[in-house]
Amino acid sequence: MNIETLFNYLKSDLSTSLPAFSPELTICATILALLFARLFNVDRRGSLISPAGITLTGIGVAFVLSVVQLGKFTDSGSDQGSGMFTGLLLFDGFTAFFRVFLLVSIILIVWLTQLSGIPDREDGPDFFILLLGSTLGMMLMASANHMLMLFLAIEMTSVPSYVMVGFLKGRKTASEAALKYVVYGGGAAGVMLYGISLLAGLLGTAHLPEMAAQLAKIANDPALMSGPTLTTLAIAVVMILVGIAFKLSLFPFHFWCPDAFEGASAEVAGFLSVASKAGAFALLVRFCLAMVGEFTEIHATPAAMKQFNLQIGVVLGFVAAITATFGNLAAYSQTNMKRLLAYSTIAHAGYMLMAVSAMMIFLSLGDSNGAKRAIEGLLYYLMVYLVMNLGAFGIVALIRNEIFSEQIADYAQLAKSSPMLAVGMLICLFSLVGIPPTGGFVGKFMIFAAMFDAAEYQPIMYAVFVVGVLNTVFSLFYYLNVLRVMWIVPADESARTAEVPLASRSGAFVAVLSIAVIVTGTIFVAPVQQIAEQVTRLVSS
Amino acid sequence: MATNFFFWLLLVVAIAGLAGLLLVRDASRRTPWLAAFLVSFGVLAVWQSAVMFKDTTASQVLFSLFGAAVCFGALGVVLSQNVVRMAFWLIVSLGSTSGLFFLLNADFVGAVQLLVYVGGTLVLLIFGVMLTASGPYVTMKTSPTEWVAAAVVSSLLLGLILVSAFGVDWQAVDYAEAGNTTTQDASAGSSVQEGTTLRPLGWALLGLRPDKDLQKPGEPSGVGYLLPFEIVSVHLLVVLIGAAYLARAKRRVDQTPGTTAL
Amino acid sequence: MPELNFCILIGAVLFVSGVVCMATKRNAIGVLMGVELVLNAANLNFVAFARYTALGLDGQILSLFVIVLAAAEAAVALAIALNFYNNHLTIDVDRADDLHG
Repeated sequence: MNIETLFNYLKSDLSTSLPAFSPELTICATILALLFARLFNVDRRGSLISPAGITLTGIGVAFVLSVVQLGKFTDSGSDQGSGMFTGLLLFDGFTAFFRVFLLVSIILIVWLTQLSGIPDREDGPDFFILLLGSTLGMMLMASANHMLMLFLAIEMTSVPSYVMVGFLKGRKTASEAALKYVVYGGGAAGVMLYGISLLAGLLGTAHLPEMAAQLAKIANDPALMSGPTLTTLAIAVVMILVGIAFKLSLFPFHFWCPDAFEGASAEVAGFLSVASKAGAFALLVRFCLAMVGEFTEIHATPAAMKQFNLQIGVVLGFVAAITATFGNLAAYSQTNMKRLLAYSTIAHAGYMLMAVSAMMIFLSLGDSNGAKRAIEGLLYYLMVYLVMNLGAFGIVALIRNEIFSEQIADYAQLAKSSPMLAVGMLICLFSLVGIPPTGGFVGKFMIFAAMFDAAEYQPIMYAVFVVGVLNTVFSLFYYLNVLRVMWIVPADESARTAEVPLASRSGAFVAVLSIAVIVTGTIFVAPVQQIAEQVTRLVSS
Repeated sequence: MATNFFFWLLLVVAIAGLAGLLLVRDASRRTPWLAAFLVSFGVLAVWQSAVMFKDTTASQVLFSLFGAAVCFGALGVVLSQNVVRMAFWLIVSLGSTSGLFFLLNADFVGAVQLLVYVGGTLVLLIFGVMLTASGPYVTMKTSPTEWVAAAVVSSLLLGLILVSAFGVDWQAVDYAEAGNTTTQDASAGSSVQEGTTLRPLGWALLGLRPDKDLQKPGEPSGVGYLLPFEIVSVHLLVVLIGAAYLARAKRRVDQTPGTTAL
Repeated sequence: MPELNFCILIGAVLFVSGVVCMATKRNAIGVLMGVELVLNAANLNFVAFARYTALGLDGQILSLFVIVLAAAEAAVALAIALNFYNNHLTIDVDRADDLHG
């Protein structure tokens, strides 16, 4: 091994990895551009260049690059995934899809901040740099192939979001929310790291494919797969899942969610509820796929591993059911709109987890078609969830700008003063419940169908399916309560009213999101399903 | 234990000294008894320890000392009621962890632990403790029921982790071939065995792994850590900006156009 | 392996102490100290596995990155705690109940 061979290897690896990494590199360049613009005073008040403008330009370039990458994966059907940076990251259709998804969500959030005025121009660079840093972490989450990248990505996502939750630093609720979030988040990350250390030591490597191969070898040998080994493995996996469950706000690690969402501004709450959950789901899917191992040899996996994966699937299913139930029940008593949406976020995380649990059950038994349908359901639901949740949080932000309140009782008679916002909220809330013809209905249908098929293999999952359907019915009532206040309850004469006409920039934002919610449920079902199908084909091949 | 004539002599002197110490009422006349007790007991302890542990090496002794310091420091952090004392015990614990790293042939990691963790992060924590002190050494008491509950849960958790981890046959698990459970030499980690990790660490952070043979088929190829090394600098930049934003003084509301916003 | 078992023992004691610290301390900085203990437990595990198992040099590199990430997180956590203290004039997490959890 002489230095020349090593350098040639590094050069060839970088020449393929760096172009594949171009969206992330564009984001790094945007961070630097924001800093330099502030340093040289280019973005001061009155100049054409604004921090939001720089951010949108950078994100736009990154978006174009990732759409081109996604196109390469979906068009040429045989393009396999490849490793980036000597196997630290995996570059396949799944990665490309999540990059596009995250960039779209960031574009919508930056648009929302321009409409709602938080942050203002002076604090703009700080906020957007934190937002971009967190997005960079989420993109790494979606492509992680090594335990170090998994932990690094979670930290890169979480730490800027701690600061973003406390961004309105003069307000007492914001500082309290940020403190609780950072304390619990740091603890969860620490526990996850301890689990990673046990797992890496047990399997002798931290590279996910090698870990899967080593796990299969151990499971093959009955002498090795002894009691203590299995217990250590279980403890390590449980600790890692605890860390991921915290990011996904699953029961019983959901307690940070309502406080953080109430203390943060509505834009940041929207970001956390959509983008950070999507990144964490991508990470969970990657981790579960790594535990299952090489897909082509799925029939050769030993029975012990099949049992282990099946149990993980069942446990995830039960956690999903409990999370959805808890989120829906707790939302009933809320009077603050952001807390209600936080509990609704918790419940939706439960629904999306049902898709992952169905995927694990299918994979443990070798049914690749079923697994593909489960992942399709998850991806479709994430896409619809993006527009409907951002729509809801965006409308909350726009109303807050007018009446300076986030209590549901103050939304009375919104339909009279700003019909645009009320109709938008109606569409988004109907989609959150899952009423046709909105996109939420199609997403829920796909996930429940996958869960129903998985229950054929494991009858106990029928209980999870029934709980999911019942929860959808439960959730109808508290969403309808909000709409009832907006449309029917008479307003106090002296209360402030929100007047946002249709022909305004805010109206355009709400209109775009509402139309997207409906379109994903009607016209776009087939194309979105196609993209999801191609993405899952590449993941599982 | 070597129980010969000198052992019994020293034991008698120690017991006599202890008896005299306890029975003499006049405090100023206790000194000779105290001296006799301490000297005889000290010689007895050192001699018997040397006999019992005559096969232990210096590294094992150091291992035990540093390990005990880590554990007692951690217990000190948990049991202290005063946050300043907690900070002190944390320094003891983390400094001894660094000693353990040196003993585990991780010289660079041990040095980084002392410089960055103890010398940077803990100093920052002490700053935080001092800046948020609300009164002279406020103690916050926890109730006895909380203590009992914490003790029970923690011993259960500790027992669970230890019982499962101690039962694992680490050598066999790591080097398991399909159907073949013989152990192999850790040829790929020889630099770790010898303790010369500085150069291989440097190479690995640049993306090259001379310790892993890439030509041999079937051998796991090394992962080069260039990407995390560079991307963590972006992360530190973002974190720095976030912390600076939070720590900055609130700006004045009136801004004349053209002035910088700081 | 007795040496590896000894290191795992110390790591487990550190981990459990950290968890108890996080759960029982009322001072926010005390809870942060618990987080530091847990991260050090993981670091000790990594370095011990690097020495005694096939993890090799990867374990030491992982522990280096953990030290870096822990320092960054401690900095942000302290900034947030100081911001909280400036707003509420107390660092007691039990007295922060404007948001009814």
